[in-house]
Amino acid sequence: MSDVRSIADKFDEILKNTQIEKYTYTLSMSEKQELNVEDGSFKLMRTVFSQNASLSVYVGAKMGGVSGNDLTQEGLEKLAKDGKIAAESAQEDPCHDFGPNQGKDVFCQGTKEPDLDKFLERIQELLMAIAKEYPKVKVMAAIASFDRWNWLSRNTNGTEFEGIGGQYGVSLEICAGDGEKTTGLDYTGFSTKDLDTPFIELASVRSHLEGVQNSIYPESIQGKFEGTVILTPECAANFVYMTLYNYIGSSVIIDGTSLWLNKVGEKVADEKLTITLDPFDERIIMGERGTSFGVRSEKVTLIDQGVLKMHMLDLYAAKKTGRPVMNNTGSDLVINAGDQSIEEIIASVDKGLLMGGFSGGEPGTNGEFSGVAKNSFLIENGKIKCAVTETMVNGNLGEAFANIAAISKEQICNSGTVVPYIAVKGIVISGK
Amino acid sequence: MLQDILVGKNALFADGVQTVLRGHENRYRRVVLLKGNLVQNSRSEGRGISARVNKNGTYGFASIAEYTKEAADKVIKASTENALFLGKHSGRNIALPTSLGTGTIPLNAQIVDVEQKIIIDFCKELDAHIEKTYPELTSRTVVYTEDSQDRIIYTSDAYNGHLVTPRCFIYVWMNAQSKDGVPVELFKAFGGFGSFFDQFKKPEDLYPEVDQLYQKVMDKREGVYAQAGYKTVVLGGMMGGMLAHEAVGHTVEADLVKGGSVAGPNLNKQVASELVTMIDFAHTFDGKMAPLPVYLDDEGTKAEDAVLIKDGILVGYMNDRESAAEYGMKPLGNARGWSFSDEPLIRMRNTCIMPGKNTVEEMIASVEDGYYLIDSGNGQADLTGEFMFGVTCGYEIKHGKLGKALLDTTVTGVAFEMLKTVDMVSDTVEWSSSGFCGKKQSMAVGMGGPHMRCKIMIGGR
Repeated sequence: MSDVRSIADKFDEILKNTQIEKYTYTLSMSEKQELNVEDGSFKLMRTVFSQNASLSVYVGAKMGGVSGNDLTQEGLEKLAKDGKIAAESAQEDPCHDFGPNQGKDVFCQGTKEPDLDKFLERIQELLMAIAKEYPKVKVMAAIASFDRWNWLSRNTNGTEFEGIGGQYGVSLEICAGDGEKTTGLDYTGFSTKDLDTPFIELASVRSHLEGVQNSIYPESIQGKFEGTVILTPECAANFVYMTLYNYIGSSVIIDGTSLWLNKVGEKVADEKLTITLDPFDERIIMGERGTSFGVRSEKVTLIDQGVLKMHMLDLYAAKKTGRPVMNNTGSDLVINAGDQSIEEIIASVDKGLLMGGFSGGEPGTNGEFSGVAKNSFLIENGKIKCAVTETMVNGNLGEAFANIAAISKEQICNSGTVVPYIAVKGIVISGK
Repeated sequence: MLQDILVGKNALFADGVQTVLRGHENRYRRVVLLKGNLVQNSRSEGRGISARVNKNGTYGFASIAEYTKEAADKVIKASTENALFLGKHSGRNIALPTSLGTGTIPLNAQIVDVEQKIIIDFCKELDAHIEKTYPELTSRTVVYTEDSQDRIIYTSDAYNGHLVTPRCFIYVWMNAQSKDGVPVELFKAFGGFGSFFDQFKKPEDLYPEVDQLYQKVMDKREGVYAQAGYKTVVLGGMMGGMLAHEAVGHTVEADLVKGGSVAGPNLNKQVASELVTMIDFAHTFDGKMAPLPVYLDDEGTKAEDAVLIKDGILVGYMNDRESAAEYGMKPLGNARGWSFSDEPLIRMRNTCIMPGKNTVEEMIASVEDGYYLIDSGNGQADLTGEFMFGVTCGYEIKHGKLGKALLDTTVTGVAFEMLKTVDMVSDTVEWSSSGFCGKKQSMAVGMGGPHMRCKIMIGGR
């Protein structure tokens, strides 16, 4: 990879010559080595060299953003010129801004130099383990990559952040079959900075393999009932993100449509629920170090024992609404563990679902959700009875937060999130 | 637009392999006005060169974010090395697909850039009109989004060409509140293939449809929850298009067929009512340009229509060159990559269920107790053909007449079972081309469908 710092120095000079007095930019360079497995064998080896420059220009109270991947002198000159024109085209809005001087810092994360031979061994070991231990599971596709990057962000307030790092990543697309009978697709994956652990033991790989192998002969639910849905950690993370952006994201606070607009300091969820964004949690692989608006990322508590602590506002939204800014771009979700094991939670459910995935319409600002339970199992009298098909779940995101029946002791760390199982009461479950 | 600097580079292609060299640029423009606030104002361009090499079923791919002759040399070399390296470890030994001819596909259109100020001013005028005309709205969002692909392709044994696919849209979101203070919202996309002035002359041209959107939002304020269960419905054309793409289209992509999709054992079998015929159009529909025309794919295959279901019988899959050889079918130009760094995957183009003979009015009049489902926000499906569409706009049908609007809900079913329940098909087709399909990479796709009367599972309280 080229020297990102020397390109940044050149870009500063160009921006100065273009008479741009206020700006922020990020230059990035990355390299990807990727292996694609199809139908159990290596099919494609892909090498990608990428680079990008994204620039925000401020002319008075006007802001424009441009990006491009031509980092030559000519390309950067064009970017600066286009950025200035974009800013001049905008309407005045003093809320567009970036953070104060944060000093300079270099963030080194993950693995800089990969051990590709060992990586290949781990992938082959994973495929062999799946074939041996889960014979009915078919790996439709596996994508294994090592990504290496170097980015540098500067602004005219004096902040300079540089990130250097690399990580291994694996994603799996799996199904299971028996003769002509096939399950639906299931997806799982993880990132890791080392190769110390067999891949089958990482994140929730095993539970996905077991789940899909046990789903070949699903049953339809007849009629509808109100029951308890236990969300697996990955499904719970999706629900939590949907809820957060629906109720406390920047857009719904700016336009005033949020149902939690004036609920900071009030109880919005069951007291078992505590949600933080914690880029420094040691279980998070590549925690965020700098926000999109140029300040150091911080640990943020959004909901503490059911009480809403703050909205998820970027700097623009904070200035627009006069509310506190969240010094985190919204990643690195950590949900506190509960005090029951997943087995105990399942045993406590009279009738409901263990839900591994949700395929549904995007909930509106009223929080109503409706969708299909994927990779899911019927629970009756405290026991898992069967996999289900054509089963719908309906409810309201806000009500679901208030109706949490249990949170598991077990948390799954899926590289970027640390999330337990969450059981929610009062969900309408319907079949044919 | 890209200048052709790749001519002659096929001299560097290795012998005994199939090579495709692609120069590629993606361009994006985006303006977002949230309740009158310009919250996004951005322009982006990314270009580079990639090469893909097939050596007996093992593929090497390499890309560089530079558009230079030197970068072309590097990616040809690196992709060839990748294919050779992986070939030693993969165990695959698949004969290279035979050539179906060579030639050059001519440039199909031009991409015309427009100043950002013109876009912003257009959006501001539209936004001001909405604010002034519809004071009952609690919020509104106007979004301009433009993306385009510009590709130059050179191949070792197929077609070469220079193709562009520009498209631009304006989305309008409207938010309101019910009497009980419950928020409701709806959106509509305007636009299609082409550059800004191809689609947008003056804001007033959009006002009639914006007004229709407003009326639907006002109906939705009084909306009711659907009754969950297995219901008779009339799916609108946009829902029909979603069905074509999500529920059926993905299951008949040959890579998913190979993975065990429900389409595998159903080839040449009845999978739908005989009223259903479904085609993935390449570039022309009903004598006119299809919403997102594809003339040449990223393996150098000249694009033709792929007939998937004919009179209810599953008759074909969508293929790349390798899968077509495996299934004994002809490749028809479905191998596509979204950006310069994306290898081609089997993707849909303009997937459509063909029109029938009924009018929409007689279809609605025929339903005693059911729903008219007009618009969908999103959809998903999997290998079994089990699908889900979010329904953002719909109405009850009571005794053959439209009743109250529906609040957001979801429908589901298993495609090849649900399609057998189709017993009326309208004589017109509606197209949508604003969406992206996700499958490792994004891809711009068109989808179309008629109104269909059928039975489907609907979610609700």
